[in-house]
Amino acid sequence: MAEGIGTLRELRAALDSRKTSSVEIVGGCLRRAEASQQSLRAFVGLRAEAALREAEASDARRERGEVRSPLDGLPIAIKDNMVQTGEPTHCASRILEGFVSPYTATAVAGLERAGVVVIGRTNMDEFAMGSSTEHSVEGPTRNPWDLDRTPGGSSGGSAAAVAARIVPAALGSDTGGSIRQPASFCGVVGMKPTYGRVSRWGLVAFASSLDQIGAFALTAADCAWVLEAIAGHDARDSTSIPEPAPAYSAALSGDLSGLRLGLPKEYFVSEGVDAGVLAVVREAVAGLERAGAKTLEVSLPYARYAIATYYSIANAEASSNLARFDGVRYGHRTAGAKGLTEMYCRTRSEGFGAEVKRRILLGTYFLSAGYYDAYYRKAQQVRTLLRGDFEQAFAGCDAIVTPTSPEVAFRLGEKTSDPLTMYLSDIYTVSANLAGIPALSTPCGFAHGLPVGLQILGPALDEATPLRIADAFQRITDHHTACPGGVS
Amino acid sequence: MSASGGEFEVVIGLEVHAHLRTKSKLFSPAPILYGAEPNHSVHPVCLALPGVLPVLNEHAVELAIRAALAMNCEVHQRSIFARKNYFYPDLPKGYQISQYEEPLATGGWVDIPTQGAGGAASKKRVRLTRIHMEEDAGKSIHDDAIAGADATLVDLNRAGVPLIEIVSEPDIRSAEEATDYLRAIRSILRFTDVSDADMEKGHLRCDVNVSLRPHGSDEYGTRTELKNLNSFRFIEDAVRAEIERQSETLRAGGAVRQCTLAYDPQSGRTSVLRIKEDADDYRYFPDPDLIPMLLAPEQIERVRSEVPELAEQRAERFQHEWGLSEQDAIQLTASPAIANFFQAAADRHGAPQTVANWILRDVMQALKELEMALDDSPFSPEALAQLISMVDEGKTTVKSARGLIAELVESGGDPESLIAERGLAAVSDAGVLERAVAEVLAENPENVELFHSGEKKVVNFLMGQVMRKTQGKADPAAVREILARELGK
Repeated sequence: MAEGIGTLRELRAALDSRKTSSVEIVGGCLRRAEASQQSLRAFVGLRAEAALREAEASDARRERGEVRSPLDGLPIAIKDNMVQTGEPTHCASRILEGFVSPYTATAVAGLERAGVVVIGRTNMDEFAMGSSTEHSVEGPTRNPWDLDRTPGGSSGGSAAAVAARIVPAALGSDTGGSIRQPASFCGVVGMKPTYGRVSRWGLVAFASSLDQIGAFALTAADCAWVLEAIAGHDARDSTSIPEPAPAYSAALSGDLSGLRLGLPKEYFVSEGVDAGVLAVVREAVAGLERAGAKTLEVSLPYARYAIATYYSIANAEASSNLARFDGVRYGHRTAGAKGLTEMYCRTRSEGFGAEVKRRILLGTYFLSAGYYDAYYRKAQQVRTLLRGDFEQAFAGCDAIVTPTSPEVAFRLGEKTSDPLTMYLSDIYTVSANLAGIPALSTPCGFAHGLPVGLQILGPALDEATPLRIADAFQRITDHHTACPGGVS
Repeated sequence: MSASGGEFEVVIGLEVHAHLRTKSKLFSPAPILYGAEPNHSVHPVCLALPGVLPVLNEHAVELAIRAALAMNCEVHQRSIFARKNYFYPDLPKGYQISQYEEPLATGGWVDIPTQGAGGAASKKRVRLTRIHMEEDAGKSIHDDAIAGADATLVDLNRAGVPLIEIVSEPDIRSAEEATDYLRAIRSILRFTDVSDADMEKGHLRCDVNVSLRPHGSDEYGTRTELKNLNSFRFIEDAVRAEIERQSETLRAGGAVRQCTLAYDPQSGRTSVLRIKEDADDYRYFPDPDLIPMLLAPEQIERVRSEVPELAEQRAERFQHEWGLSEQDAIQLTASPAIANFFQAAADRHGAPQTVANWILRDVMQALKELEMALDDSPFSPEALAQLISMVDEGKTTVKSARGLIAELVESGGDPESLIAERGLAAVSDAGVLERAVAEVLAENPENVELFHSGEKKVVNFLMGQVMRKTQGKADPAAVREILARELGK
């Protein structure tokens, strides 16, 4: 594999000192992306021509002294569930085959405004439903650290592309851990901001009350840059937080003195977590303590219901959100169906993969008359209690740390036949989506030769604290600089 | 068969859907353009493209609150938009955004006219269950001539148009009451400027639930639902037909089955669209793309203070302030267009009863003959007031003025210049009139004789002769005066 790309900050410096050009950087990304497809399959589509054109325009701006932002001319990849005018968006599903968007997602428009060059769309679990990027009509993405293993999911293509140093950053979406778990498996930084911080306009919905766009990068500081470009209020999303994007970069002081870190007692038990992972996470916490943070035990008593609650709500919402893929207006439509019902049935049977069908069926059941109270309404009640758990915990601490995932990257095919085991992969991540709070994963070491992620959760609206902690941690550790084999 | 159920008591409830008069759709910025090319007033939101989100139209909320307050409902400070899930090609998202568990408004009532004891005019109160907001679906076109055989075309121009659904309690007892209720709803929607409420254009649609029970029973019978009735006539006929159908079934000892029915105006019969084995399961749940709709008490009170005068209040005011008869007042408040026209013309002219007479007689007749609505006429109330004033002042005659009404209704114009152009100015020149009177008296000696013998009424005949001689342009007051003088000699 060719020489990997540097961080956004390194690339910025190289552009500013005229050591390179945007065209050169973007060209390198495109070459690496193509070359890696055979082994990794991180991408489902590249926009080579458009990206090079945009890179040229950025170089011209720089010549004229009209640089739009620190990210101007730098490359990024976006997950295949965010729309961009004139580009296909397929959510790694056959049902959206042929769909080209006539409009651009707000988050992607934020990147365009900042001068960022989108080089392509990354692979994912179909409609973001999965934890391994195996449920893709394009075939699975592989983990750059071990090609027999999954990169996690559902934003596995984005995580793998950054981990393999194909691109310095990528957008993902996180409904129950779909940014943080693959970030953990691939040894990169991945953050899901507070629900509503980044507009969902143009993000193809999986579970509307949980979905949130976030970013992957090689460092917390780079992640902050990307978030600054995509966050902020958007009147087109009624659930958008009515505040401008905070200046995250300014909060990265490197100082952890006096910081109160909560350790949920329910998560720091040996049960259900790989011993190697837990040991690495404990050592990371010790590192943070040495840097001035104080730790205390907190309790999240309702966290044990998080998985059940999450899958009830997410699937219910998904069953409704995916009803629009009916073959009437766009995407796949079956050929030669006789009558409307047959057209619907065959179109959707052919267009959706097994995991998506499973979730539509479950979600439809949860919302059905006679079951609604027992599942959907009950789940919403537990969700309120869980939110209360976090509010109580944050009354006594500034951030909460946990393992991101109970294990390191698992093998391809290892869990596809047992969906329930796959769902447990999200055990530490879904709570943040249910509570709507910000959370990131940062590399904190290795177990079994594979990356381990440390999850840092902040109170609602406070992305800055988890970013500051991760940044400070990266100043005293070098786990985030480790490259998978074959990449330099 | 009468509209009542004979040995059975008829129990009817209505679900009325009314389009709100907004510029854009309920959750999409697409404009609402009636008559646009199919699929031309649409936006990615109306098409349910991947990734789009709904944003609530605040003006639609204002109109819905206004309607609810005008119908005496309690408007809730918190209401929830919910998804009603079902598959249909003209429903792009696969769900309709509606309200379910927490609607905008509950309670309320609408009064309809009825006959009290001894046939005296009275009012009956129909209670409302709720009013909620929702979006309309698109249209499916199955017509073979347009879509081709076995094909269906979809037009999404209507998809997302804001609606309120007004659900009544089962307080209605006859087909006539059902249409009276719908007329009352239409009047309120129009007087509050909430909706054009035009049934022909689909702004107002209704579903009617009908059941029968033995007189004196306090349990409801099994009900059937008549769908998509789009004229007052069809509603009345369909309800009558359904009452008849259910009566026959019950008289024969059968049981009414719960079902949805369509009415065929050709045959005058209702037919079963589908049997409801179980209640439909629409899997309602709160729409996670929308936050709860919270209304400040001040906002509700502000809208309350802005609810315009309704037909009933206007009619009362016309009676009390201007001394109009109840019948005239009711006719003049049949629509906001008429009421506003009358009010403006009367204000301008100063003699409301005179203006009322002109409108109810001449303007209405002209509209009827021209098959026009007052809304579509360029005739201004100021022009009517001016025309009547010219008659008052003897500048033209009643006959000439009446002759101009149809033209003014159809094409508008300035009465003063029209009268001048057409040579319709009243003749009040004393010399001309005196000559005409002298001629008429000379031509009709027998009538002059009759007058002198006490038949004072012949003066009217002589008047008519003078008017004819002057082609109706003579100023009648002046003629009467000269006639009286000449006959008195």
